[in-house]
Amino acid sequence: MTEIDINAPGVEVKKSCCYFCHQNCGVLAYVKDGQVIKIEGDPSHPTNQGGLCCRGNIALKHLDHPARINHALKRVGERGGNKWEKIPWDQAISEIAERLNQIKAESGAEAVATAGGTLRTEDWSRRRFMNIFGSPNSFHNALLCWIPTFMVETAVCGWSPFETDLGDSRCVILWGFNPGASGMPGMRGYTDLQKAGIKIIVVDPRFSETAAKADLWLPLRPGSDTALALAMVHTVIYEGLTNNDFVANWCVGWDELVEHIGQYSPEWAAPITWLDPEKIREAARMYAKNTPSNIQWGCTADQLGATSGAGMHARMILRAICGNLDCPGGDLIPGPSFTYLTDEEIEANDWLPEEQKAKQIGSDKFKLTSWPGYQRIADVARETWGKAPTAEWMCEAHGPSVFKAILTGDPYPVRALIVSATNPVSSYGDSKMVLEALKKVEFLVTCDYWMTPAAFYSDYVMPIAGALERPTIHTNYGVTDSIMCSQRAIQPMYDRHTDYTFWRDLALATGQPADQWPWENEEEAFYYIIYPLVNLGYPVSSYDEFVENFRFYYPPLHFYKYGEKGFCTPSRRVELKSSILEELGYPALPTYIGCAENELDDPALAEEYPLVLTTGGGFMPYHHSEQFQIESVRYLYHDPYFTINPATAAKMGIAEGDWCWIETRRGRIKQRANVEPSVDPRVIYAQRGWWYPERGAADPEAPFGCLESNVNVLTSVDDEHCDPIGGSWANRGLLCKVYKVGYLDKGKAADTAFSIPGSAKEPGVTVMPSESKLAYEPIPFDPKPDFEVPEGLLWDKSRRVAYQEATGFVYDPASGWLIDQSSQVYYDLYTGYAFDPTENNLVDMQTGKRYDLETRAEIGAAPEAAAPEAAAVAEAAKPAATAETAQEQAPTAEEGKE
Amino acid sequence: MTRYVMVMDQRRCIGCQSCSVACRTWNDLPMDIVYNPVVTEGVKGEWPHVHVNYTPLICMHCEKAPCTLCCPTGASQKDDDGTVWIDYKKCMGCKVCVQACPYGARDTSEMSPRLERYARKCTFCRDRRQMNPEAKPYCVDTCHQKARIFGDLDDPESEVSRIIGSVETVRLMEDFGTEPQIYYIPALGGQR
Amino acid sequence: MNKHYWTWPIAIYLFLGGLGGGILSFALVFDILVPGSGEIFAMPVFIALVCLGLGCFFLVFELGQPTVFLRVFLTATAIIKWGAILLSVALIFGFVYWVSCLPWDFVAFLIPLRGICLALAGICGALVMVYTGVLLASLKAHAFWSTPALPVLFTVSALSTGSALCALALGMWPFDPATFNNAAGLIVSLHEKELIYEALHLIDMVLIGVELLVLLMYVLLLRGSGNAVARAVATRWVSGKVAPAFWGGMVIAGLLLPLALYSGGGEAAAAVAPVLVLAGGCLLRFLVVFADDRRKVPGEDRFYRRLPHHDAEFLTAWKNKEHLY
Repeated sequence: MTEIDINAPGVEVKKSCCYFCHQNCGVLAYVKDGQVIKIEGDPSHPTNQGGLCCRGNIALKHLDHPARINHALKRVGERGGNKWEKIPWDQAISEIAERLNQIKAESGAEAVATAGGTLRTEDWSRRRFMNIFGSPNSFHNALLCWIPTFMVETAVCGWSPFETDLGDSRCVILWGFNPGASGMPGMRGYTDLQKAGIKIIVVDPRFSETAAKADLWLPLRPGSDTALALAMVHTVIYEGLTNNDFVANWCVGWDELVEHIGQYSPEWAAPITWLDPEKIREAARMYAKNTPSNIQWGCTADQLGATSGAGMHARMILRAICGNLDCPGGDLIPGPSFTYLTDEEIEANDWLPEEQKAKQIGSDKFKLTSWPGYQRIADVARETWGKAPTAEWMCEAHGPSVFKAILTGDPYPVRALIVSATNPVSSYGDSKMVLEALKKVEFLVTCDYWMTPAAFYSDYVMPIAGALERPTIHTNYGVTDSIMCSQRAIQPMYDRHTDYTFWRDLALATGQPADQWPWENEEEAFYYIIYPLVNLGYPVSSYDEFVENFRFYYPPLHFYKYGEKGFCTPSRRVELKSSILEELGYPALPTYIGCAENELDDPALAEEYPLVLTTGGGFMPYHHSEQFQIESVRYLYHDPYFTINPATAAKMGIAEGDWCWIETRRGRIKQRANVEPSVDPRVIYAQRGWWYPERGAADPEAPFGCLESNVNVLTSVDDEHCDPIGGSWANRGLLCKVYKVGYLDKGKAADTAFSIPGSAKEPGVTVMPSESKLAYEPIPFDPKPDFEVPEGLLWDKSRRVAYQEATGFVYDPASGWLIDQSSQVYYDLYTGYAFDPTENNLVDMQTGKRYDLETRAEIGAAPEAAAPEAAAVAEAAKPAATAETAQEQAPTAEEGKE
Repeated sequence: MTRYVMVMDQRRCIGCQSCSVACRTWNDLPMDIVYNPVVTEGVKGEWPHVHVNYTPLICMHCEKAPCTLCCPTGASQKDDDGTVWIDYKKCMGCKVCVQACPYGARDTSEMSPRLERYARKCTFCRDRRQMNPEAKPYCVDTCHQKARIFGDLDDPESEVSRIIGSVETVRLMEDFGTEPQIYYIPALGGQR
Repeated sequence: MNKHYWTWPIAIYLFLGGLGGGILSFALVFDILVPGSGEIFAMPVFIALVCLGLGCFFLVFELGQPTVFLRVFLTATAIIKWGAILLSVALIFGFVYWVSCLPWDFVAFLIPLRGICLALAGICGALVMVYTGVLLASLKAHAFWSTPALPVLFTVSALSTGSALCALALGMWPFDPATFNNAAGLIVSLHEKELIYEALHLIDMVLIGVELLVLLMYVLLLRGSGNAVARAVATRWVSGKVAPAFWGGMVIAGLLLPLALYSGGGEAAAAVAPVLVLAGGCLLRFLVVFADDRRKVPGEDRFYRRLPHHDAEFLTAWKNKEHLY
């Protein structure tokens, strides 16, 4: 109970960071004799200024919690038997590697999939492992968290406006964003800004901590954000609030947009959003008139299911037509980092063969966030910036489809799954299906701090080192240009290792070349990442030294970067009408589709399930499904609560604290009633992520009560409910009903394991991938050549060129010649001879013999056969071909100058 | 003289309980002890015209602390700087001080060993301040929202003096006459 | 906080303290009124000592750190400290007095001290009765306790239970009217005992009446009090969850019924009525101790209601467990 003296001799201060959410607040760790004796918020850290929230403050409890996994565990006995043998790390690695190699040999590398988790890891190392291993099937929950937004915004304006220059802004929309529960330092920032005069508009169906502080609060129907965004665009355009200069000079597709948006008036949106049209107009005016203004991204944008993509597009348009892009006080487009290495540069994407990319599960359905869309965007970005967005997260297999593939073998069986830093039963939709997939998959490895449901069914559980046991680098994967670094406080305790060590050890054990994994630990890898900074005024010789001396790199803000090269899109303009989306088979202008389940499109369903469920929003103190083991916080937040309006509760006889069932078509869960008017009488807000780690394996069918209160039992990942553009599924705006837990339900173990209509034993896989249909029929992304491909050449759809397989020479349809792109030498299509413009004849590069241009006769064997007019034709064809080639290589450069 | 007080800015508090958890872990409290809960009645009003108010509770370090007067063993005491604290070695656990406090700021843990169930309470991080006189209570440092301000009310230049002098503040349950030393800036009906 | 910090040990302690104090007071009063009659109270005094001892035991038993208990006598000026001193004095001198009443020659040297011992024990006993009420009444945080009437109520109840117990145990061993010589050389007759016995019944009837009056006034006046907390408790007693215990147990079985039995007379009634009075007195302490409502800051209840006080599975899940995996 007595204070530990942090100033005593022998106590070292380590600049660590909190690793329990994405804010990465600075933490000072006081270390004595290799043990952390105390932690506190770092007062000199710009993010948190000494503050730490519930999550950060439990770091020491987390470090040596009795339920932490400290040794590699190998399952003995049957799956779900909860019998483990502690084995050394190296033994576990070599056994896993052997098994993976065997599966690769039998079924191909794509039969191995990996699931990543949210920012507890160096996920580029997982990607690097998978690329070199040859499997495209790494997947991630990122589809619910910003990635579709990033990709849609990047398709429209060249790079997601990731930075907000709030200091000079006059109005900010916090759209489906509640920093009051998800980002404490951010919340302080908004409060301060508001005090300084900024107007805050909050779009949230719930009277959240943030909505409580708003100047204007739009309590819309959950899931109707897209309709609201479209109606706001409509208001801005039809009330003439646009920034005309910017639209005229820097946007394309304006006329089409004006025509297209005419159908989405605030009156049209009113029944969908439940908002008064005047309120929508008020918000649009506040945003458009108080420029520069910002729209702050929130995860809601990515969690609306089928309707998501259009909403992201509409918000992007809203920013652009109000002239808020890349101007002081606006939404800044940072572009990739130029001063340190982005994740994309160290994840070895070039190791993955084209034919493996094509096998990526889900890339035929959800194209923007998988190889087809990513490749297109990356190509444009490389032309502009020389760097591409990171492929990890932005270009992943579709997680739910991988789970379905495990269960159904469609499109091909996935036999092995490595789960790292994620608890899929809690975090993916349709938990019962996910749980079943985890039980079924042939070989399952889990890397985690805790015994999660996934770990419970694993063949191997790997002990992972946590926040204080590893250095961290906060680069936003290289999609912006700032960096925050923190150092390791102590070496990992027990037999724990970091996830990077796991992937590196596994890579080496599976026989990947050692020179591809030159960095023995994170410090070496991170030093490699920040090395470019060494020549920019940060002379350090190690990563630790950088943290000690500098810790951050915040380059000055650059405005109007588009003035130099234009926006990073094919047309060099903000593409209000997006050519990339169009190419991929999606509507080029934001086109409204109703959210997954709604009362307007399906009144019969709404009759049975009269309430609208919203979930997925973060709440203090938990981050996703984490920290449920930590007594200090769990004691304060012990039970799951769903919020219900008092009027509705009274009608149903539900009192504060009652246990109730929440039921959708997929199943039902138990939560306790929090009766307060913070939601509409037609809305239920249920907390996410709930599981009960203290219960252990009492029910081996659903360990840790993982289905009992888990909202993802209620959500759907059926293909038609997913966003066709980004593949994300709906957490918001589902239809549900609520009723009290009856006396007979109480204490029945079955209730924890079963729910209707499916059960834990027979999960509700309602739609097989083969039967799936999308919300609108896509044009398949399979660009056909617009010229006839000569026999013997191959068509490359990603580059959209025909090429000769043996040489790689590219066919030029205008001239009919083959071109070696590196030397710009022309080759004859049929004979393979090179064209020599100086002597105006053909040369066989092998033999050196010369041939006549017209007759193909060997010069010397039949001298003077070349007709002068033939040479003139060739001469005329060549420069024209060159010009066209140049244009094809950089199609945007010339248009950019227009 | 020094007179430590705390100002709670209810305009900034968002009820995240960071201070409660921070205190529990910093002081390594038993699971069932909460020195400084942030309480709320939840959202009030008629949808959609609603408001919410959070009240961070803590020991009020009363000027006339009833808990020190009733202590039969001299364990509960008051420092010259106004800090009310308990010498755990002297406390016999009779809980009369727990009963005497109008604010419910004291508690005994049922989860500590049977013969170590002394009364516990917030001490404004007395031990932390003894190590470093510049230090503030940990809950003040940890508050992201800067909703807690700690300082010496007898120092006219301190931030707390400035606030208490210039902003309308209230104290809880003043009618008990204990002169609580925690000042609240009300949230004005949920508005900023 | 949202729980009862003082529970049954404290209720029993308050009851036994009041009971013991009451008996000692009666022994003193009768010894003064009827000089020498104190000896008849030898058995009641013994019971009083047992009560006080047991009360102290429960008090110490209930402490969080009993090893520190002796500090009570070293420092401070708090009410509990005075209670402890009064209890100790009453115990010590009561014990000496009782030993002096034992029919053994080797304790005969104590007989001269009898008077002063009884006087001290009786005075301290009376103060202990009052102290049990003052202890609660001094806690201003609890509106139902902190009224000047609570010490009155507790004192009346203590006297009533004291007289009931005296009536039960009067004239028992070691008192033997055939052989007993009191200090003044007077033979205490059985007749005298009967008189005291009757007087005790009468006194108890009066006390029951007064207690009924005080109790009803106390509860009913607080029911209309301006203080919401006190009003809530009183309402709970009069018409809420506690009403059956209050009306049925306390008022009818603990007061009205013994009153009727006493006034009806008869051997059986004389044996049953005091037991009912004692049970009623005990119940009163329980009711009062559990009426420890405190005014809450808005939202405090909501916070504590959501804590898992009773989820043993969670509370012990990782307790004292060393590294499961």
